Amino acid sequence: MSANPMNTLPASDGGLNRRQFIVSTLAAGGALVIGTRNGFAAVRDTVPLAAGTSEFTPWLTIAKDDTVTVRVTTPDIGNGTLTQAAAFVMEELGADWNKIKTEYASTSRDFAEDGVYSKVGGIIGYFSGRSTGPDRMKTYLQVGASARERLKLAASQKWGVPVGEIEAKDSKLMHAKSGRTLRFGEVIDKAATVKLTAEPKPKEQSQWTFLTKTTPAKKQLPQIVNGSLVYGMDVRLPNMVYAALRQSPVHGGKLKSYDFDAIRNMPGVHAAVVVERGKPHASDLKSPLPLGLSTTQSAIAVIAEHYWQARTALDALPVEWDDGPGSQWKTTQQMNQAALAALEKEGDKIEKSSGDVEAAFKSAKTLVEASYLTPYCEQAPMEPLNGTALVTKDRVELWHPSQHSQMGFLVAADETGIDPANITFHQTHVGGGFGRRVFSDDVRMVVAVAKQFPDRPVHVIWSREESTRQGRYRPLMAGKLKASLGDDGLPTALLARVSGGPDFFVRGLPDSAIGNGVVPNVQIESQVVPFHVMTGPYRGPGYNSCSFFVETFIDECAIKAGIDPLEYRLKLYGKWADIGWTKCLKEVAAKSGWGEKLPKGQGRGIAIANWGMDGKPDAGTTCATVAKVAVSKSGELKILQIDVAFDTGRVMNRDAVKTELEGGTLFGLNMSLNEELNIKNGQIVEGNYDVYPMIRMAHTPRSINIHFGGLSDNPRFNEIGEPPVGPIGPAIGNAIFQATGKRVRTTPLRKHDLRWA
Amino acid sequence: MSVSLTINDQTVTVDADPATPLLWVLRDHLGMTGTKFGCGIAQCGACTVHINDQAMRSCQFPLEAAVGMKIRTIEGLSPDSSHPLQQLWVELNVPQCGYCQAGMLMAAAALLKQKPKPSDDDIDQYVSNVCRCGTYPRIRAAIHKAAERMQASAAKTAKVTA
Repeated sequence: MSANPMNTLPASDGGLNRRQFIVSTLAAGGALVIGTRNGFAAVRDTVPLAAGTSEFTPWLTIAKDDTVTVRVTTPDIGNGTLTQAAAFVMEELGADWNKIKTEYASTSRDFAEDGVYSKVGGIIGYFSGRSTGPDRMKTYLQVGASARERLKLAASQKWGVPVGEIEAKDSKLMHAKSGRTLRFGEVIDKAATVKLTAEPKPKEQSQWTFLTKTTPAKKQLPQIVNGSLVYGMDVRLPNMVYAALRQSPVHGGKLKSYDFDAIRNMPGVHAAVVVERGKPHASDLKSPLPLGLSTTQSAIAVIAEHYWQARTALDALPVEWDDGPGSQWKTTQQMNQAALAALEKEGDKIEKSSGDVEAAFKSAKTLVEASYLTPYCEQAPMEPLNGTALVTKDRVELWHPSQHSQMGFLVAADETGIDPANITFHQTHVGGGFGRRVFSDDVRMVVAVAKQFPDRPVHVIWSREESTRQGRYRPLMAGKLKASLGDDGLPTALLARVSGGPDFFVRGLPDSAIGNGVVPNVQIESQVVPFHVMTGPYRGPGYNSCSFFVETFIDECAIKAGIDPLEYRLKLYGKWADIGWTKCLKEVAAKSGWGEKLPKGQGRGIAIANWGMDGKPDAGTTCATVAKVAVSKSGELKILQIDVAFDTGRVMNRDAVKTELEGGTLFGLNMSLNEELNIKNGQIVEGNYDVYPMIRMAHTPRSINIHFGGLSDNPRFNEIGEPPVGPIGPAIGNAIFQATGKRVRTTPLRKHDLRWA
Repeated sequence: MSVSLTINDQTVTVDADPATPLLWVLRDHLGMTGTKFGCGIAQCGACTVHINDQAMRSCQFPLEAAVGMKIRTIEGLSPDSSHPLQQLWVELNVPQCGYCQAGMLMAAAALLKQKPKPSDDDIDQYVSNVCRCGTYPRIRAAIHKAAERMQASAAKTAKVTA
């Protein structure tokens, strides 16, 4: 039986605090690698260098058996960051693709060596973020090119031939004239120490043979399909105990009382520990995101020998909570009304102002006005929140499925007051993120529990219900849009007001084409409503709500103007300097059969949005989506077909981009169709998938087509994870209008009465 | 309570409360972490294993009920990742984060055992697991392709035998 090899670790003779540990992404079965460190005396428990391995730079090592290890800062949450980093190195190094593996870069080392990794790519770019960012690409290409030249130089010295006569290919160094060959591994000792007189210049894009030409599948797939990939949930350490967690059902409330005696004698139970609603402690730590974002809720955890014992005891533990002010929000309806009411007055913040909107409205013959609302949604990654920490008197060691390991590392230091030099953060694989694991409130909670049960590793596991009800959600947001239409039917002025709970995002509106010139007069305002529910980034923050507001509204304007919705968008966005918008619209229209007649009860809807453009043309990723739907007379909605065209500029790995577009579209489809968290007396109602529905195979449209004809060939490789989440919802809503004549202005769409006669 | 279980053709002994869900027996007591915890209420299917060749959600399957049953987990789907589904999952780049995929593979493998040539509707019905990353289109394609490959290899074997 192939058990998790972490469990077969021999008992430690010196305590876990001396263990050197790494979750290597390609080590057989996710095995532990224990080794002695070469060189980094200042760093405790950083990446151990296996025997027979030479480090070329902090980003790259090569072993005597030719194994190339690329160190990656960005947690792979399913988006292929590990593989893309390896692919950059592959392009320049001349290695055999199968001999390149990846591992996570050490946050400890980054701290000890003055930002050796984080100085590349800046705050978000390190230990979070994307794989194809320009800084990252440049770094890895250079790392690969430099290592190649050093290998070649070492071989040339060994053979006494000019370096220019040596070729590096398939992890070999070849001298064609003499027919001599050396493996990389045979010259690494020398290559790792030789000095180049000048750094080589990486190839021009036009010379690439691997990047953009091949579509390597994710490196970790073999371990996923045999169950050996180690996620945070799968960490097993000697002497480990488990904790089951419960937090204040009303966010911001606090624990009033509990009765440990009621569970004291239950099997395996060790303790119950209380976590106060946490504020950051050591404010002088320089963290990539504000430490305040990692605030914990008031909580109680039961610690037991096994998880099921902890969970059973927690369920039996009598607990009373003081709900606090959040309980004033009795119903979802009450909160929705508060958000909508906020739209009726001028916003507190002017997000964008150009021209004279009021004057345009006064002289307008035709006005269009509508209000929209999108609810709280939970990222709901398949791996529930969890993490493992071992806290001793002066050290913390963590094993965590983070989306931002640098943030997690510093949060652990902040929560314990222990010197970051004595913190070790092992990034594990991650069972989905979608934004939930960025703030690192989960890391703080794990450490806050584990420090009260020191000297044993504590694996803290949120139940699905706890994960769902204690989220950092997509905020509840409302939007009111008003436009005057000119003689050509296009908007002459736009007033947009957006409201929502604290820390909502307005991306998708002031930064979009509509806010930056395609409409001559624009006023965009926002207003915060003091809801207590905790919020955070959710795939396409802000954009996932604002795209629904804007692209439903544009559709309403097109209908009012009596112009086909595609034609209307071509006219409107044809004014925008970025040709990608028009290309995407034309491509998706042609491929989806736009304009072809449909039977009664069926309709097509179109929508377009851009993630990341920041008000500029030839930036971000544009995504245009057509949905074809059928609505039965009794109101049953079925999505028949989805077509997507996009413009990232250029594409690095076609299949990786395609799979993200498929997945992101389905994510946005579920968000729009199904997702809503309700509030009752301040508490989140929904806890699990029985009441927070997820699309499954049976609900997935059989026809989802990703089209590449929208690409502008602008020299950028923009990200693709978030963009498809924006246009799918409004595309479906607009299709529903075509099928039924009913305009949907709120999500989830499943709650609308779509009956027609 | 100490009980004997048959998992992946081997007999193992476990000392746990008889009401403990099989999921946690596998993960905590036996260190077999390929079977995943996703929801705990038999909704998402991340914990799918085979019990007497049927796909079952192990988070709602108590240890005491598993005694005497033939249990198979992702670790025992094939000795060397050679099951056509496992091969196609890699070839078609199916997984994204991968967390749900062990359950998906076990559900799909049980389906192919019962219906060697499944229709789209069969796949909808038998593979009702949740994937938050949205890999459904690729899972469907991989199941169809695996069915073809298994039938081709069965036909070949039949020919040789004849």
